[in-house]
Amino acid sequence: MSTSKNDILQGTLTLLVLKTLASNRRLHGYAITTHVQRVSGDLLRVEEGSLYPALHRMEQQGWLKAEWGLTEKNREARFYSLTAKGRKQLAAEEESWARFTEGVGRVLRYV
Amino acid sequence: MSWVQRLVNALRPSRLLRDIDREIAFHIDERADDLRSQGLSDEEARRTARSRFGNPLVQRDRTRDVDSAAAIDATWRNIRYALRAMRRTPGFTAAVVLTLALGIGANSAVFSAIDAVLLRPLPFPDGERLVELTQVRDGSGETRIAPIRLQDWNRLNVTFDGMAGYLLGDVVDTSGDLPERVHNATVTPGFFDVLGVHPALGRSFSDEEHQVAYKGPIAVIASDRRWRNAGRDLQALERPVRVGNVTLATIGVMSPSFQFPRDVDVWTADDADAPWAQQRTLTWFTGIGRLKSGVTIEQARADLERVQADLCRQYPDTDRGITVSIVPLKETIVGATRTSLWVLYGAVSVLLLIACTNIAALLLSRAARREHEIAVRYSLGASRTAVAMQLLTEAGVLSLVGALIGVAVAISASRGLRLLAPDLPRVGEIAVDARILVYTLLSTLFVTLLCGVAPAIQSTRRARHASGSTRTTTPARHSLQWLLVGVQIALSVTLLAGAGLLVRSIDAMSRVSLGFDPRHVLTLRVSGQYGNETTDAHIQRINRVLDSLESLPGVEGVAVASLLPGVREYEQQEFSLLEGRAGTAPPLIAENRIVSPGYFAAMRIPLLTGELCHRPEHSGWPKAATADVMVNRTFANRYFPGTSVLGLHLTGGLDRLVTNRHLAGAVPSRIVGVVGDAREAGVDRDPSPTVYTCFSFPYPAPWHVIRTAGDPTAAVTAVRRRIRELEPARSVYDIAPLEQRMGDAYAQNRLRTWLLSLFAITALALVCAGVYGTLSYAVSLRRREVALRLALGALRHRVVQQLIGTSLRIVAVAAACGLGLSLLFTRSLSTMLYGVTPSDPATLGAVGALVVTVAGVAAVIPATRAAFVPPMRALREE
Repeated sequence: MSTSKNDILQGTLTLLVLKTLASNRRLHGYAITTHVQRVSGDLLRVEEGSLYPALHRMEQQGWLKAEWGLTEKNREARFYSLTAKGRKQLAAEEESWARFTEGVGRVLRYV
Repeated sequence: MSWVQRLVNALRPSRLLRDIDREIAFHIDERADDLRSQGLSDEEARRTARSRFGNPLVQRDRTRDVDSAAAIDATWRNIRYALRAMRRTPGFTAAVVLTLALGIGANSAVFSAIDAVLLRPLPFPDGERLVELTQVRDGSGETRIAPIRLQDWNRLNVTFDGMAGYLLGDVVDTSGDLPERVHNATVTPGFFDVLGVHPALGRSFSDEEHQVAYKGPIAVIASDRRWRNAGRDLQALERPVRVGNVTLATIGVMSPSFQFPRDVDVWTADDADAPWAQQRTLTWFTGIGRLKSGVTIEQARADLERVQADLCRQYPDTDRGITVSIVPLKETIVGATRTSLWVLYGAVSVLLLIACTNIAALLLSRAARREHEIAVRYSLGASRTAVAMQLLTEAGVLSLVGALIGVAVAISASRGLRLLAPDLPRVGEIAVDARILVYTLLSTLFVTLLCGVAPAIQSTRRARHASGSTRTTTPARHSLQWLLVGVQIALSVTLLAGAGLLVRSIDAMSRVSLGFDPRHVLTLRVSGQYGNETTDAHIQRINRVLDSLESLPGVEGVAVASLLPGVREYEQQEFSLLEGRAGTAPPLIAENRIVSPGYFAAMRIPLLTGELCHRPEHSGWPKAATADVMVNRTFANRYFPGTSVLGLHLTGGLDRLVTNRHLAGAVPSRIVGVVGDAREAGVDRDPSPTVYTCFSFPYPAPWHVIRTAGDPTAAVTAVRRRIRELEPARSVYDIAPLEQRMGDAYAQNRLRTWLLSLFAITALALVCAGVYGTLSYAVSLRRREVALRLALGALRHRVVQQLIGTSLRIVAVAAACGLGLSLLFTRSLSTMLYGVTPSDPATLGAVGALVVTVAGVAAVIPATRAAFVPPMRALREE
């Protein structure tokens, strides 16, 4: 596996997926990957293989809802959307992320 | 996704996997599309898409593990794997499953009997509060209670909700074509209330029906069985029926489950206020009582002791020396079978233990053969837990299949038990129900752990070291197996010792000299009941029948007796000597048997001194009453050593006719002769001092013993016809040869012995298989060594000797341990043994020798086979 800097930090994938689905009503796994990559200006890249175990785990937690549907190209895909529980989780994760970056920032600013 | 969904996914993994595959394929397709639109070639796009995704199989498995309950999934895979393995080795599988099915099934069947008979409360509301009450008088075998005294106890105690009494008797129903005997229980007011049960149909007795002045038809409550057999409809309830010179009305019917006292057909009301019920010396009731909630037996006992002490002060003449015995009702019903059942259960559990050990050893050697497979699984990254779980699952599946068949075995075995032991108390309640199934399930779990844990631990550990090499052979690897074989041997020695002792007891009993001759004796009863007839009329009726039967061709002697000889019935009591005895002399406690004078000739009990008693030639009983008595040799020798007993007078013999309302008080009886000792109280009981009171009327329907010239059953028709001519309104019942009756009295003994022997032989067979299997395996591990030694010139017979010697040493040590174990186990048999001690050296020695011999024979074949393999073949094999 490459250790390039734009690999997503362990644990932040959940936050990114939740946020992505909060701004889009329903997306399939591939669309989530491209969305994160595009919106981050190619700074972030989802490790594609590990996306699906994560999606399924979040579904188990009750944060996501999944259903089979058709894409505009008439392909069958599994579409994910956020549940109410998932929205709450997003708020919690955003807050903890903010605290985390704040903390890391302070350490870095300390001379 | 809920856990239900995960469970479904675990059980149907293929569908889940298909879905994940589709999702992943879609992703890769979309990526390839994008790459193509960026200008990559078709093939390049697809390859890049795939490599960016990573290994789809790994991602699929990771996703799958999220979606399904992983442990269940693994278990499910293990189970399917185990089933495949079972199909691959059908012989092994069949042997193990069958052994377990029999082991678990037999165990559950015996447990179902224990559960129904011993563990469950009696089928009455709050049945654990019910007790049996009897009165104890110093030195006498007296157990029954005078009605008035029972009433006093009931009135004066503070620890009982209520007390009642009952008296068993037989009446005859002459309403049908043939006179029919009916078991009757005469009960006091409140009998059904104390038990907490009420008629399923109709009502129970009213207060008026318990009064002597009541002139209506006799009220009867019928058992469900009788009600059905009579085929009477509900309309007949309370409609009086005339039977002979009495009128009966069935006022109620009990439910089918109500059986107290056992085998009663009808319950009738006593005359609580009758004059004879007011006499403190006339005793006939067996008491039952219901303790108040929270009261212990000890408190109740103390309470009744206080009550009886008060009564003793109030009525010193009649109540002195009387105490109360209180025993839980359940104990009086099932107590006698307790040891038997637990011994049986112990034996069947030991057998199951042997079977488990046997299977554990088998699994162990099989796991050893799969060393290579296990090593491969390790190298592919399986964890030790995963491999151990797989081995444990295999044991679990085997025992579960065994248990399923075992349930079927248990159902038929418990049905067999009901048929084989119909005299077992509460036998009708034995059934394989949910409780028994739960028990079976638990024992299956236990069996799985017992069979599976040792192989799982041992072989996974070994495989870790072996890791691919099949050459390492350490002696330690089969020491566990030999340990298991040793356990089997020790346990089976214990079982064999128990069975051996019981067989010896039965053998000893069959060799005992009885002192009477039970062959060619027919026994039966002719119905009769206390009623308006005088005692004289009863005596004359019985004598008439005796005389008439005596004149039948083929009949050599006839008598009546209060108790049958040889069937474990006895009544002990204290007699007094009219002539007086020294205060220091022991009390004259003896068995009291009331027999007609022809008894000694009919039973072939020899006269030693004096003369045989005669039928008294008086009438107008009991005014001019005296009776002759005979005593046995033990009585004469123990109580009157060195002096003659002839001409002395005893009192007490006829006092036992307590249920006879017309006969009371002490009747002095002269000792006219001494007869030989006879084992009348049971083949396994030494003769005890016995007094025979010569009197034809012990009670209205006494036993008749008829000595016939030939086969006693051949005389039945003639005897019945003759009695019918004389007494057309009486039924003749309980007809059986005496030998059969004596056999029946020991049927439980024999059944117990037979079952224990069966278990022991099965155990021995398992041990054989165990020794054979383990030695075969041990030898197969040493093939190279043996071959090498033979190639270097070792003598073949020395090699065989050495191999057999190794196993025999282990067998001998284990057998010695087993003998030690037997000494502990057989002590619990001591009440069932006759003529042998629990530590009988001959039996134990023979058992030890048998086991060592059998195990030695089982070792011969594998040892010989190993020594006769051509050395070069064995050496080239690896």
